[in-house]
Amino acid sequence: MKRVRILMAIAAAAMVAGLYLTLTSPTDRLQGEFTRIVNIHAPSMWVAFLAFGVTALASILWLVRKTDRWDRLAEASVETGVLFTATGLFTGMVWGQAVWGRAWDWADPRMASTAVMFFVYIGYLALRRATPDPVMRARRSAILGAIAVFQVPLVYFSVNLFRSLHQTQSIRPDGATMPDEMVIALLVNFFAFTLLYVALTAARVEVAKAEEAKSSERVPAGDAVATPLLSEVEDV
Amino acid sequence: MTFWDQAVEIARVDLRIERRIGDVLRIILPFAIIAVLVIPLALGVNLAAISQVGPALFWAIGVLFGMQVALRQAADDRPERRDLYSLLGVDPAARFVGRSLSGSILTAGFMVVLLVATFVLYSPRLPTGWPGPVILALLLTAVGLTELGTLAGEVTSGLRSRTALASLIIAPLAIPLVIGGSQTLESLTRDTSILPWLLLLVATDLALAVAGVALARPLEEASR
Repeated sequence: MKRVRILMAIAAAAMVAGLYLTLTSPTDRLQGEFTRIVNIHAPSMWVAFLAFGVTALASILWLVRKTDRWDRLAEASVETGVLFTATGLFTGMVWGQAVWGRAWDWADPRMASTAVMFFVYIGYLALRRATPDPVMRARRSAILGAIAVFQVPLVYFSVNLFRSLHQTQSIRPDGATMPDEMVIALLVNFFAFTLLYVALTAARVEVAKAEEAKSSERVPAGDAVATPLLSEVEDV
Repeated sequence: MTFWDQAVEIARVDLRIERRIGDVLRIILPFAIIAVLVIPLALGVNLAAISQVGPALFWAIGVLFGMQVALRQAADDRPERRDLYSLLGVDPAARFVGRSLSGSILTAGFMVVLLVATFVLYSPRLPTGWPGPVILALLLTAVGLTELGTLAGEVTSGLRSRTALASLIIAPLAIPLVIGGSQTLESLTRDTSILPWLLLLVATDLALAVAGVALARPLEEASR
């Protein structure tokens, strides 16, 4: 847990730095203050893609090695990814309402495909909850985790594949389409959000380990009639 | 028996079971046609609107109810049947291919009947030369939907909430199929190339087939 606390502290410091740069960087002439939302929106979506990529990798590793740690990592990564996808969707809708005049626009395939990706991983979490046996749960969710990642490139390239209101990538190999101060603020936020993802995922993995340890302490008589632990019995 | 012999035999057994149970013909198809009937009632007597929404509704209802065809009762093997396949040495990949084959035949048949019902009830304005490309898109959609249904059905096999859970998994993943199918007709109407949309359908079908065959063994273990 000490390692998780250190990670959390580093992530918090990076987030403060990111927030400072977000609030002090210049704004777009047309979008005004709403430009700053991009510093939360884009890093959130990057972390969501990273999280689902890690889930796919951990799922494949579970299928190959059948080790619990990969299942814990896959589950933790999906939960974090779903949280950041929701953040990305919400901030995108707030920005859309302010700049486009509507929160949801069907002419933007990135929006629709992100919502679809969100529901794919909600399905993943529902499958985990519905499968009581831990080995079966790990196996089934590993298969889904390996397949569901196909959504990620579809979402990422949707702005290039379809006619879209959504802007294309702002930072490209041939240079950025924004001033340097905005690029620096955005990159610092990308870094900070990535650290936050690592810290949250590590914390969730620790919670999963604690849950497993707790459930293995109980004897197999069932939750309702579980025998008390020795530590819970007072001396008579 | 070769791989393909096993796949064809499994498809034949599946179709025979379906003929006896009749899930698709007696339950899912009538329910889908009720859905086709209910929507114009909700829209009111607006013939122009009904005619305009017809093609879009066909793809939406086709995919949503096509999922139910893929998840039909006969496609959920009991543990005894799975054990029998294992003891007989049936290749798990052949089981996936066979199940996808039988499901594709049923889903394609279901969608053709739905297409006729939509045509009769909605009188949609369709561009000339539509039947060939639309039937091709329909077949590719049926194959993809069935592959997806087979994968999701295996992953949720034996669970109490199987149908609802598998639908939740399939519906978002089926979006490329809905887009591919509906945009084929849209492109014909706008007189633009339908090739990108047919390629999207083919790519989705191939990706799902590769995933199904590659994950066949873990899928078999997962459904026990």
